[in-house]
Formats: sequence, structure tokens, C-alpha cells
Amino acid sequence: MIIVEDVHKRYQTEHGPGKWVLQGVSLTIPAKCSVGLIGANGAGKSTLLRIIGGVDQPNKGRVERQCSVSWPMGFGGGLQGSLTGRQNAKFVCRIHGHEYDLSERIADIEAFAEIGRAFDEPVKTYSSGMRSRLQFALSLAFDFDVYISDEVTATGDAAFKNKAFSAFKKLADHASIIMVSHDEGTLRQFCLAGIWIHDGTAQWFDQIDDALKAYKSSLPA
Amino acid sequence: MSRESLKGNIGWRSPVRITASVYSALFLREALTRISSSRFAWFWLLFEPVFNVAYMVLIYTVIRVRTMGGVDVFIWLMVGMLAFFMFRRTAMQVTHATSANQALFTYRQVKPVDTVLVRGGLEGFLMVIVASLLLGGAALLGHSVLPADPLAVLEAFFGLWLAGMGFGLVVSVVTELVPELGLLINYVMTPLYIVSGVILPLSSVPQPYRDWLMFNPVAHGLEAARLGFSPYYHAVPELSISYVYEFSLVSIFLGLALHRRFALRLVTQ
Repeated sequence: MIIVEDVHKRYQTEHGPGKWVLQGVSLTIPAKCSVGLIGANGAGKSTLLRIIGGVDQPNKGRVERQCSVSWPMGFGGGLQGSLTGRQNAKFVCRIHGHEYDLSERIADIEAFAEIGRAFDEPVKTYSSGMRSRLQFALSLAFDFDVYISDEVTATGDAAFKNKAFSAFKKLADHASIIMVSHDEGTLRQFCLAGIWIHDGTAQWFDQIDDALKAYKSSLPA
Repeated sequence: MSRESLKGNIGWRSPVRITASVYSALFLREALTRISSSRFAWFWLLFEPVFNVAYMVLIYTVIRVRTMGGVDVFIWLMVGMLAFFMFRRTAMQVTHATSANQALFTYRQVKPVDTVLVRGGLEGFLMVIVASLLLGGAALLGHSVLPADPLAVLEAFFGLWLAGMGFGLVVSVVTELVPELGLLINYVMTPLYIVSGVILPLSSVPQPYRDWLMFNPVAHGLEAARLGFSPYYHAVPELSISYVYEFSLVSIFLGLALHRRFALRLVTQ
């Protein structure tokens, strides 16, 4: 279970504090419930994900994680361009304390990512799809209760999306995902519930379809 | 590191274990980046200071002088430059540690101060290799490279490394908070080479100006390292190795305190 309590967030800019991105977000995300975050560009979806993932801190309010939460998978974050996919994978295994079964984990990651020989090429030479394959493979190599994905599925091809989905189905009895996506199909496939972020606040919907409906009705015709 | 986030089926690890695994992973990663970032990166890593020293030595020995303050100018220059690099390279690497590793803060385990300390450690390690290479090379050329007082030399080098760490720790936070100060610090670092007495002997600077120059802890470290090599060296009379360590202690404490105080500001965007 993840409890988000009255979270406020604004970023520092060169000209002092910026405008409030999140203003009083309160949520309880139950265990084993996959959730999709919906909202316009700049509404604060990624910000909320980063705060839930513990990478960023709210200016006010708090987040309580009563389960293990993955790092937020997202564009380029957590991968060093000059190192190869394998070297990046080793680093992530090591900081998670898997020095002792490093080679098996790396083999798993390599098999899941399916990027072939590129696994031994520097990450900066990867396409965005290859990056997201690697990121997904990296976080699935560890048994988290909650996986956080910031549009990583968006750049993957159909085969990869299916693979990621079936991997998640296998985990569904003990794990869930919190994801941002602009693709309705992906959201319906992965998520049960939805959160609509609008005007700095968040609204919870038990059904992802209702969240999508609310989001769409807010759009200008 | 929040405790609960690592409980559950990923297995709970003690904070000390987590920090230890982050340090070892960071060390390997940093070392790997340093030796594989460009073509022959490992070569330049070791030979940039070697060429630097060789060039200066060539100019001095061929054109100018044979002895400096009563010692072989070759050794005088080499030890001074090595000691100076010990400070400057550590300080520079440490200063840029957080900005260069921004991508890693995606992982909650990795804190800015971890990247700073690991980088400093790696740089010290590399400088030991560089120094051994250079001293070995000088020995092959027939110079007497065995220090008269090895402990004093180690003390001086270690003090300079600590001073570099402290300086870098403070500057890494300060430049993150006030980026404009980065420019100012660059202005200070450029003439440091001259005012620390790397290529000009500080003992020839008249008073009261020498007293001003001796506020710089790097100058003390350099002279102490040279004095350790040859006890007959005419070092600056104001030399005080404890000044280097006092500077290090204060700046490391201040730097760690700043890192603690502004931990969130360093990771948040």
C-alpha cells in the first residue's frame, strides 16, 4: 500500500520558486492494484511518479511506502550513456545487493531485453525503444511489489509490449504497476484503476475507463 | 534510504550493507567510465600528468637551472607537481561528482555524497599509480628518488588529498546552490598553480607577501612533500603541515554538513 498525503510540489527556477505543480494530492494506492496516471502534458504526472518513487521530495505533505517500490523507469534516467548495457546492468545489480548472483541476473536481463549484441554496446548508441527494453528488463530483474513506469512502454514495439504485459501477468499475484501513458490501449491492458491529475489535484477512479472518460470530457471539443 | 522500501520480498538490508554495496558499485563504475570514456582514455589518464611533468622538467633542466633550494631540480619539480595534482585533480573530480552522476539519483540508494566520496577515493588511488610511474621513470634516468623521510612524504600527500576532498565537498554543494560561484572558483583555481609554488620557489618571495601566499594550504603541502624527499631542502620557514590538516578537517566537516543540510536540493530538479 502506498499512502500519499496532501502532497504539494513546485520546482525551483532561475527566477525563484515556480508555480505549484501539485497542490494537495491525497491518495491511497492499495496493494496489488495497478494504476494508470492520466492527465494533460505538464499536469504533474511524472512529478507525482517521481515523488512516489522517492526520487524527488514534496515541498509539503508526505508519502508512505509500505512495500518495496522500484525506481521510476523513464527516459534515460538511471542509465549512463558511455557504459554498455551490460555494465549498466551490473551496476544496478550491485547497488541492490546482488553481487553474489550477478551472472544469473545479468543473463536474465539480457534474455528479457532481447537487444542482441547491442547489450555490449554503449547505451548512448541505443534507440529509444532499445533503452526502454533495457530499463524494463532491469527493473523486472528484481522482485519489487510496485513497479513505476513513466512512459517506458511508449517506445517499445508490439512484440515488446506483449512480452512486458505477459511478464506482468505472471507477477500479478504479488506485484502491481503504476504507470503514466498516453496510449489508451496500454492503460486498459495494464491497469485496473486510474488517477486523473488535473489542476494540481488528483482524482481516484476505481475503473480506468471512468478516469479516461473524465479526462476526455475535460478536453475542449 | 527509506527502510520500508527495501523490505518485503526484495529482502531487507541494513543501511551499512546498502551503503557498502553502493560504494563498491560506484567505484567500479567510476573507474570504468574513466578508462573507457574515449579513445585511449586509460592512456591519457596516466600520461597526462606524466607529460605535464616531463615538459616542465625539460624546460627547467635544459634551459634554466640544475638545483633549486639545494636539491635536484628534477625531483623538486616532479614532487611539487605530483603533490599539486593530488590536490587539484581530487578537488576537480569531487566538485563535479554530483552533476556528472545526476542520472544515478534515480536509484534511491545513491546519495550525492556517495558519488563525491567515491570519486575522491578513486582519484587518490589513480594518483598513487601515477606517482609510482613517475618516480620509477625518474629512477631509471638515474635520479635518486628514494625519499629521506617516507612518512613525511606520505603525510604531505595524504594531507593534500584530504584538502582536495574538503575543498571539493564544499564547492560541489556551493556551486549547485549558487552556480555563478563556479566561475569565481575557476578564477581562483587558475593562478593556484603559480601561487602554490609549483614552478617558482616560494622561499624567494619577500615578506610580507610570502605570509599572504602561505594562507594557501596547498603551498604548505607542496613544501612539506619536498622537504620529506630531501632533508637539506631550503623549505619555506613558515612551513606547517598541521595547517594542511586543520584546513582539511574544517573543510571536510563543513562540506559533509552542507551535503547533509542540502541533500534534497542536490537531487531534486
